[in-house]
Amino acid sequence: MTQLTAVSGANRPIVSLTDVIKTYTLGKVEVPALRGLSLDVYPGEFISIAGPSGSGKTTALNLIGCVDTASSGVVSVDGQDTKTLSERQLTDLRLHTIGFIFQSFNLVSVLSVYQNVEFPLLLQRKLNPKEREQRVMTLLEQVGLDKHVKHRPNELSGGQRQRVAVARALVTRPKLVLADEPTANLDSVTGQNIIDLMKELNRKEGTTFIFSTHDAKVMNHANAVVRLADGKILDRITPAEAQKAMAAGAEGH
Amino acid sequence: MFQLLLIALRNLASHKRRTLLLGGAIAGVTGLLVILMGLSNGIQTTTVETATTLMTGHVNVAGFFKVTAGQSAPVVTAIPALQQQLLQEVPELDYMVQRGRGYSKVVSDTSSMDLVLGGVDIQNETGFRKALMLREGRMEDLEQPNTLLLFEEQAKKLEVKVGDTVTLSSPTMRGTSNTVDVRVAAIAANVGMLSSVYCYLPNSTLRALYQMRDDATGALHLYLKDTADVPAVQARLMKRLPELGHKVLDHNPNPFFMKFETVNREAWTGQRLDITNWEDEISFITWSVKALNGLTVGLLVLLLIIISVGVMNTLWIAIRERTREIGTLRAIGMQRGWVVLMFLFEAFMLALFGTLSGALLGLAVCLGLNAAHITMPMAVQLIIMSEQLRFAVSPVAVAGSIFIITFCTTLVSLIPSFLAARMKPVTAMHHIG
Ligand SMILES: Nc1ncnc2c1ncn2[C@@H]1O[C@H](COP(=O)(O)OP(=O)(O)O)[C@@H](O)[C@H]1O
Ligand SMILES: [Mg+2]
Repeated sequence: MTQLTAVSGANRPIVSLTDVIKTYTLGKVEVPALRGLSLDVYPGEFISIAGPSGSGKTTALNLIGCVDTASSGVVSVDGQDTKTLSERQLTDLRLHTIGFIFQSFNLVSVLSVYQNVEFPLLLQRKLNPKEREQRVMTLLEQVGLDKHVKHRPNELSGGQRQRVAVARALVTRPKLVLADEPTANLDSVTGQNIIDLMKELNRKEGTTFIFSTHDAKVMNHANAVVRLADGKILDRITPAEAQKAMAAGAEGH
Repeated sequence: MFQLLLIALRNLASHKRRTLLLGGAIAGVTGLLVILMGLSNGIQTTTVETATTLMTGHVNVAGFFKVTAGQSAPVVTAIPALQQQLLQEVPELDYMVQRGRGYSKVVSDTSSMDLVLGGVDIQNETGFRKALMLREGRMEDLEQPNTLLLFEEQAKKLEVKVGDTVTLSSPTMRGTSNTVDVRVAAIAANVGMLSSVYCYLPNSTLRALYQMRDDATGALHLYLKDTADVPAVQARLMKRLPELGHKVLDHNPNPFFMKFETVNREAWTGQRLDITNWEDEISFITWSVKALNGLTVGLLVLLLIIISVGVMNTLWIAIRERTREIGTLRAIGMQRGWVVLMFLFEAFMLALFGTLSGALLGLAVCLGLNAAHITMPMAVQLIIMSEQLRFAVSPVAVAGSIFIITFCTTLVSLIPSFLAARMKPVTAMHHIG
């Protein structure tokens, strides 16, 4: 149902990949990471990218997040072909449209929890100090870190750091949130909380989520699972089908 | 903006060792620079003060008298009339003194040495008391005839004390030697090179030695209210004195005792005036000041290069260490310019902290050494024209060095900052190291 409203609400995809190829060069060796990936994601969708390690999930998210460039093919975000944008415009797109939760947290080590989360708002320069504080504190409460505002990242556990990264990605209320295995470092309860928070944002604000995961429980919350293998899309299925496929895979072993 | 500053500050704080090392290096260079400039400036001030009192006025009207073409004496005659004309022509004048000039063998019981004689009317020589520090005797005693002021160095060589008698023996133009016995009335602390060349006696005694008339002397020293007027006054006298009927030598920027050869080679006889300024008369000493200035500048350039390389290197390391962080900041939407700005802040604060503490340290050293009154070895005294080191730190120079070093450091940090900002976010984020 969510998918229906989303699709009818906007007939233009917020993310559109067309025949995207990404090849890394490691010295003289060419490593193909994506081999002709095509994918449309519509506003309001909650998409899970699944696939074995090395299948290209992170690479795809990096391209969508405009932190890397494709070797060929078209990557469109929010209706704009990223190849045509200047570095400055790409940076603005990352700041205002995209929230990225990196697999390895990537927090600023010299800033406190509060300052890390506040940082994108300072870059945006849209809110006044009071609104800013309110926004940051609300989000920190939602991720359960309101008691840790003054801590530095190195004083937190892995799970707590990840929650800071989530808060930082969501604080600007971006249209599109990318999350690279957002629950990989979390215990199941916290992982559930984070997913619930994302779901709620998705429902209330129509935020589009694309996250990569191996976690079947997390996949359950998606309205579609895109399965990758060897840099290509295997299929696009429902969570239930994914669950079944995974079970079958497990039995096969 | 504030957050950038905060990040920069925190970065400095979280790398204490590196910050202290680099900040310390910058501080050291700044401190050294302040001390060097203070020394150079101090020597220059001392030299000019001492020399303009003891050897020269700001402008001098001196001259040579020749009975025959090949024999000259450093004498100006008909002083009262000349003085009258100078009073009229130089409204910038503060005061004017007569300074007799001579040359003599000074003979004691055990030893002898050749010295340049300066004839003074000590009661008029207001600067003398400031420029000379007496070790023995009284300045006022030079008011009495047949007295002599020696420098410590000379007294030691001649093995005389205050109250002892020495004989002055000077060759005259007639080819004979005149002598006069004088009593050592005062012994002054050494003032560098000057104290191995000069000694002072009353003008009356000098005239007696050379059997000169009362209206003759060696030179008129003109002290101006403002030394900035020196070139104007000198130029005016060069023009006006010939108009008033005096014969004036072409300007020769050397001290008088180096001119005899030139003057003796010329064919004229009688009286010629020689107009010089203080720089001409002390040109043989100022080389030391110039050399020191050169050294200061050279050292400055060298140190700046070393510091720049050090800063760049350190920032490079700092930036490499934080490449992941830069990648993250870029990935969450920080523009390249801001990244550069962040590192600029960091370099700037480090440099400012370094230069400020260095300048303070240098200042403290200068003041401390001034207060300690350390007597320098003879070789150093020759160069610095004084027994003791004197540091004159000019606020402009300190501010200048703080500015220059801070500026260079900040500028140099631009290069690694630009390189870091140019990286693709994902490349930076996955940087290892
Ligand atoms: N920076 C890189 N340089 C070279 N090869 C890379 C780089 N990043 C990823 N790869 C390769 O690209 C392929 C896809 O990787 P990735 O997108 O990280 O997969 P996933 O996130 O699904 O595990 C893998 O074979 C991986 O080794
Ligand atoms: Mg991955």
